[in-house]
Amino acid sequence: MKEIREVASALLSGGQVDWVLGYEEDAKGLVKPAFITDPAQAARLIFDPRCVHNLAVYLLPGRRHVRALGRGALVVKACDARAVAGLLREHQLQRDELVLIGVRCGGVRQDPGPDAVLNEESVAARCALCPERTPQRVDHLVGPELPPPPAGNRDLLREIAELEALTSEARFAFWSKHFSRCVRCHACRQVCPLCNCTRCIADKSQPQFIEAAPHLRGNLAWNITRALHLAGRCVGCGECERACPVDIPLALINAKLSHFMHECYAHEASEDPEQPSPIGDFRSDDDQEFIR
Amino acid sequence: MGGVGVFVCHCGENIGKSVDCVRVAEALRQHPGVSHAVDYKYMCSEPGQALMRQAIQEKGLDAVVVAACSPHMHEKTFRKAMAAAGMNPFLCEMANIREHCSWIHDDREEATQKAIALTTSTVERVRHNRALETIRIPIERRALVIGGGVAGIQAALDIAEAGYEVLLVERQPSIGGHMSALSETFPTLDCSQCILTPRMVEVAQHPKIRLLAYAEVEELSGYVGNFVATIRRKARSVIAERCNGCGACLERCPVKKIPNEFEQGMGKRSAIYVPFPQAVPNIPTIDREGCLRFKARARGSTKEPCGKCVEACGRDAIDFDQSDEIITEKIGAVVVATGYELYRIAQDQPPESPQLQGYGEYGYGEVPDVIDGLHFERLASASGPTGGKILRPSDGREPKTVAFLQCIGSRDPAKGMAYCSKICCMYVAKHATLYAHKVHDGQPVVFYMDVRAGGKGYEEFVRRTIVEDRAQYIRGRVSRLYRAGDKVRLHAFDTLSAEPVILDADMVVLATAVRPRSDARALAQRLQISTDENGFFREAHPKLRPVETNTAGVFLAGACQAPRDIPDSVAMASAVAGKVVGLFAKEMLEREPIVAMVQAQLCIGCFNCERACPYGAIEHVTLDDHGATREVARVNPGKCMGCGTCQAICRSKCVELEGYTDEQIFAAIMGL
Amino acid sequence: MSQESHPTTPEGAPHPEPFQPKIVAFVCNWCTYAGADLAGTSRLKMAANTRLIRLPCTGRIDPLFITKAFEQGADGVIVSGCHPADCHYATGNLHARRRFAVYRELMAFLGIDLRRLVFSWVSASEGRKWADLVNETVRELNALGPRNAYPAVDREGDQ
Repeated sequence: MKEIREVASALLSGGQVDWVLGYEEDAKGLVKPAFITDPAQAARLIFDPRCVHNLAVYLLPGRRHVRALGRGALVVKACDARAVAGLLREHQLQRDELVLIGVRCGGVRQDPGPDAVLNEESVAARCALCPERTPQRVDHLVGPELPPPPAGNRDLLREIAELEALTSEARFAFWSKHFSRCVRCHACRQVCPLCNCTRCIADKSQPQFIEAAPHLRGNLAWNITRALHLAGRCVGCGECERACPVDIPLALINAKLSHFMHECYAHEASEDPEQPSPIGDFRSDDDQEFIR
Repeated sequence: MGGVGVFVCHCGENIGKSVDCVRVAEALRQHPGVSHAVDYKYMCSEPGQALMRQAIQEKGLDAVVVAACSPHMHEKTFRKAMAAAGMNPFLCEMANIREHCSWIHDDREEATQKAIALTTSTVERVRHNRALETIRIPIERRALVIGGGVAGIQAALDIAEAGYEVLLVERQPSIGGHMSALSETFPTLDCSQCILTPRMVEVAQHPKIRLLAYAEVEELSGYVGNFVATIRRKARSVIAERCNGCGACLERCPVKKIPNEFEQGMGKRSAIYVPFPQAVPNIPTIDREGCLRFKARARGSTKEPCGKCVEACGRDAIDFDQSDEIITEKIGAVVVATGYELYRIAQDQPPESPQLQGYGEYGYGEVPDVIDGLHFERLASASGPTGGKILRPSDGREPKTVAFLQCIGSRDPAKGMAYCSKICCMYVAKHATLYAHKVHDGQPVVFYMDVRAGGKGYEEFVRRTIVEDRAQYIRGRVSRLYRAGDKVRLHAFDTLSAEPVILDADMVVLATAVRPRSDARALAQRLQISTDENGFFREAHPKLRPVETNTAGVFLAGACQAPRDIPDSVAMASAVAGKVVGLFAKEMLEREPIVAMVQAQLCIGCFNCERACPYGAIEHVTLDDHGATREVARVNPGKCMGCGTCQAICRSKCVELEGYTDEQIFAAIMGL
Repeated sequence: MSQESHPTTPEGAPHPEPFQPKIVAFVCNWCTYAGADLAGTSRLKMAANTRLIRLPCTGRIDPLFITKAFEQGADGVIVSGCHPADCHYATGNLHARRRFAVYRELMAFLGIDLRRLVFSWVSASEGRKWADLVNETVRELNALGPRNAYPAVDREGDQ
């Protein structure tokens, strides 16, 4: 924490950046994003297991008001750094436009507070799947080496396996129960740093492949498309599931497809922006057992 | 009145027998948006087309659906009819109710229902068709031929003879390529240079051909009909316009011991040199790494030693201060004719080909009397380093037994080359014949796996080699060879007699694999063409488009595409010339308007489309978006071939393929 | 399900059952569409359940088309194009191959019965293969019945 404040303060007073985006807590102990522009205010910055947000979402080109603030520094956990790499990969940013302050992570909670304790009950399920908790390719790396997160009560891979053991009817019943509750608020889209289309396909009405009404038919089409468009790009930050007001277990779908991309195409949404995205790529020996 | 017109064809009995065409027309008449629906016996006939024209004019139809045979059969016919009626041809679609319906279903009710569904779907689709205009692109009628071997020479001559300008670029100081180094050619045993040099001279003198020898293509930008080539004219240090080819400088040059590349290192040349006497252009070049004055300069010396060539030259043509010149030229079509190189069996293989392995069994190229085919050609050549005598490299003696080994590297997946090099069986027979003719008591022995002699006169040639020229053909491979005294001992196996063979030969000639040039990949990248799994340049389709690449306007001729002999290289070069002349003969390059278009405002610039496009048709353009500029994609309509892969890859579908837009496909699905 | 043969059933075509599946096929113009044409020219008898939609290339086929076809009442969807290395546009089907694999995996995870989603490579010379594929798919769907996945959706949605 102290290190983050020092780095942030130095960057701001040195004029290398105009703003630092990190985490702070409010009066109730809930952590929220903090835009710091005055070096003296750097003392507000904190880092602990309540810092669940993926701040890379503020870097999307559509956020013009953020761009208007000038050159910035971002506090990133490893997952957030991978999201930044995803944006670099797709030419949404120039690396020299921003300074990355990487923080070593030991796992985060499912919620941003007020409790800051990390245990098997509070730990976010997604942390168990994290491939690398130290952010790579950052400009400053701060924070102590932390032990791995505790094994959480919710095990995503086990839940996925349990679902896959069901019949397809039972599985469909599970998902249609969830998707019927989707209200198409698109919070999952708004909070995802990799949902960066200027005009989302769900908003295209000519033709309307994805019905807009919050009805199971269109909800299914939306959720299928969201998952498909993120396949190989999702960094597993879990923000979509956290943002969903009706608690659809989106993390299961994202984790399932990430796992598949890894198994089938040896692909991970990595920190290396040079590594190409898997869709738009192919190998001559890609699996085609399923094709008659 | 507007609306869609539907014409249901009976096709005689072909459709009418299984599909109730009257009912189909009736059903479509009821469909919203259809203002005219009739059935007719033969829509493709003149009266059928007249029916269409009439309805279009009387009812002011917006679009037309013809429910009939496959569009593969008659789409062109009906689109022409549309044009004749004054309508845009792309406002006509066909519903396939013959091949996909009447011919495959016996149940009349089912077939009719299906025909109605297919036609309805097509009506819904055609309502979103847009009037598309043929894309017309201007053409620069100048061809660039890269490579001055026999293929490049043939292509250049054919294009020039058709009346178009050709720029022929050759990296070596002279054109001629590998063919100029050969002694005789199969199956005629024509002297190679005798048949090639007249062509070389023709190229140099042709008014439509601009020959740039000792030059390389550095960059190619643009697209078909509108390329810009950047060419580096390397400095010979000789002023071409003044040189008259007298050769005095060569004689006076004191540096005479540089291994001559043309002679495969077996002969020597001077620092100022002409690669071979019949070189075209016959202008010397100074080898800066061998020349005393240039070496002094490279050391940083201020002294200017030697200069004997300057003294010898009566025309003041030597210029030690000449530098490379970069020129740019507008080009309409490119012919790649850069040829091949031979696989070397040494342990160190070119770094860009890590999959190759040297031949340990054959001594990794360390035994002096083991040579390859090109070396043998120079020995056999009357103007070669031995004056046409077959002599051993080690001691200069005439070999009495020469072993020829076929398939060295070729047909060998373990060595990274699974393919057959095609020309070796024939040139080995030729070498055996030439050797037998030159050394009357010499014994040629050929170790072969197969003898591939498929061309015209080829089988007869090999027969003569065996029967008349006493070549001994042993079916089996040499497992290893090594020096034994002053001979080369070969251990082999004769698979036909099932006996091991040990042969002490005086000389061994290896038929090594034909490979793409080591810089082929780099050139492919510069030209935006692809290479195949063996590194040869990739053709657009192996059977039906063998001389084109996937990059419109870039063509392939000769061995750069695959191992190839002289007759086939010449044929391919003329084929390419036909393609180029066909392109240039048009006033404007016309392309089908089924191309993709990007809505720039919506594009986020992720360029996944660029990665997916097989034709390199996606360009980067700068867009001014509310004061901020960003790079977005644009499709080059000159290169796009209309596959639509970009659209499926684009997450927000801001790129649409005309003729197959999302609206059209959506309507087709909804209309079923 | 009864396997008695029906006297007027053409050889190879499935038996008419009370339930006839509706199948939408997305096919590429150069290979499968031409292969289906060849099946027609060769008068190979097929079940009449498929409706083909022609695309230039499997590379153009968006999973949204397949999803929409199911939404619109298709009991089964066939997607077919050129064999790898034979694509008229060089690599369209190779991109499609990955896309289809991921879509299929997702659909399976969400509970769509994969027997309703058939992918194939059928070349322009494989008229027989196309006919067999269509007949086989119809047979499988005869047995599977109407789309299980979506009636629940529709009934609910149409209230």
